[in-house]
Formats: sequence, structure tokens, C-alpha cells
Amino acid sequence: MTSPTQSIADVLADLELPDHAGRTRRLSELVGGDPTIVQFYRGWWCPKEQAFFRRLVELQDEAEVAYSGIVSISVDPAATAAAFRAGLGARWTFLSDSERTWLDRLELRETTDTLNNPYLPTVFVVDPDLRIHSRYDGYWFWGRPTAEELRQDLRAVTRAIRPDWEPPR
Amino acid sequence: MSRAWVAMLDAPAPDADAQAPLEELDGRPAGWLAAWLRKAKPVREARRADPRLIDADGAAALLAIVWPDRDRGLLAFDDLAVQHARREMLRTAAPPDAVSTLLVDDSHFAGSITVRRGPWVDDDPFARVEPGRVLHVGAGVVGAFPLPVGPVIERHGSAQPWPWEWF
Repeated sequence: MTSPTQSIADVLADLELPDHAGRTRRLSELVGGDPTIVQFYRGWWCPKEQAFFRRLVELQDEAEVAYSGIVSISVDPAATAAAFRAGLGARWTFLSDSERTWLDRLELRETTDTLNNPYLPTVFVVDPDLRIHSRYDGYWFWGRPTAEELRQDLRAVTRAIRPDWEPPR
Repeated sequence: MSRAWVAMLDAPAPDADAQAPLEELDGRPAGWLAAWLRKAKPVREARRADPRLIDADGAAALLAIVWPDRDRGLLAFDDLAVQHARREMLRTAAPPDAVSTLLVDDSHFAGSITVRRGPWVDDDPFARVEPGRVLHVGAGVVGAFPLPVGPVIERHGSAQPWPWEWF
């Protein structure tokens, strides 16, 4: 990746990063043809992230039968992300940007934490072309989406992309 | 609909696109794993697999194989036991090199093949649904690909062996 800065405007950059198993994955490949929640989080150590992840883990039972994906991205090393994921009981893919390759390109560096240099907690809901349907800035915990807001977003994207939303008659 | 087929045979298949011998863990011969990439069913024993499972350049591996007897009746993919096994596979902390469920029709679980080349993890979620066995396979038949993104376990169409994940 050579582009100096990827400004998040209407379309999320097609990141390429190692997943929790260490395999290089591309965001567009992970999204596939589904509405997807793309979550940038600080790291395993943040209690706010732990609380928010419990919300996502509850939502995964619905997402897994509704053709909707979740991807979580942090600066945690892959092995740490794998352990965190296993402990949460999450069944979606975690991506590791431990080299902080995308932090500034996405303009998502949390500048107030110079110790961990993490991602700003930010949640996007995107369509299969990575177009951003909604964005939630979670620097303050109450800025994060509720499960109901995510359901509404996933419903709106699904309605927009599935030609058979109105059942064929 | 998947055009990839696998079969466990007593002898090599004359027309397979990829195949390799199978061995028990103590080294005793256990037949052959043959694979085909084609529309038509190649042999009576063949079952559909995720096409990414098949790789004629793939290295030797250990396989956790679940191959239920279809005459005994197969569980539906919607059966809670099969759903739970897929969830367990997605949740594993030690992802396999590759995994594919197997199909003989559009909607029933006809087994699975899980490929590992690193440290062996003696826990195949699908072997809790139907009896399983662990075999060594030679080079030249199974490849590697990552698990699907998840958490989706239901896929868009039938006749596509999980985890094949697109329309």
C-alpha cells in the first residue's frame, strides 16, 4: 500500500492486514456480498472496548443468520487479538494493524494516548462496496452505537442491496 | 452449485484431478482421497466440497474426516447440532489450514474434512455430530484457505458446501 493518506469520506479504504490467525486478509474479501459492521477498537486492555464487545457478541447470533458480517480492527498483535477473540466467544474476523500501517491514512489515530498509539474507537456500517452507511465515533462511550442502532443500519443496507427484499410474488 | 467433488476410495481413480494416499496414524494404508473439479458427479461415492479445499500442489497434511453413512440418514444443515459445530469451528482459537463440509444434496450435512499442517488440535467440532477419524494424507490433493469472516453460518444458496460464502 503506497497511498499516503486515505481520508474516510464516503468509502472505507480496502485495508489489507493480517487476521487473528496471521493470514493476510483484504477488507473487501471479508465483507464479501454482505452488509458489515467494521469496528476499530483501542485494544484488549480498554474496559470500554470490553463492554462494547459484549454488545457485539450478543448481536452475532442475529448477524450469523442474517447474512451480515462483523470485522474488528486494532493495533493488538495477531496473537493477542486471537486470545481476546477466543475469550469473548467472538466468531468473526479480527484484523491486526500492529505496524500501525493504516492508523494515519485513515485519520483514526487516538492522539491523546501516546503510550499505546491505538485506533480511535470508531464503528462503521458499510455495504458490499465498502460505501459507508453510518459512522459512530466512540471516543466517549455514549458515542458508540447501540445494538438497536446497528440493527437499523443493517436493515437499511440489506434493504438497499437485496433485490428480493420485497419477497418475489 | 459447487463443482468440486471428493471421494475416499480403495484405489487411485484413473481420472481424478488431484489425489493422494491416506494412512492411519500408525502408518497402515487407508485408501485414497481423490478430488475432481467438474460439473458431473465422477464416482458414486463422491460428495461435493468447497472448491478451495482442492489443490493439486497442496502439501501433506493431517485430516479430520467425518464421512457419515448416507444410508443411515443425514442430518439437515439447519439441525442445531450442525449449526453449533459450524459456530465452534468459527470460534476456534486454532484455525485449521482449511475446512469444508460435504454435500450429497442441497440441504443435508454429509460430513466434513478439516485440514491441519501445524500442531494437531484433537478437537473436531463436526466429529461431535457424526463419528470422525483422523488420517494422514499425502501431498497433492488438499490446499489451504482461511475460515470465512463470520459470524455468518447460513449462506445465500443451497448446494454450496459451507464455508463457501458467496452467491
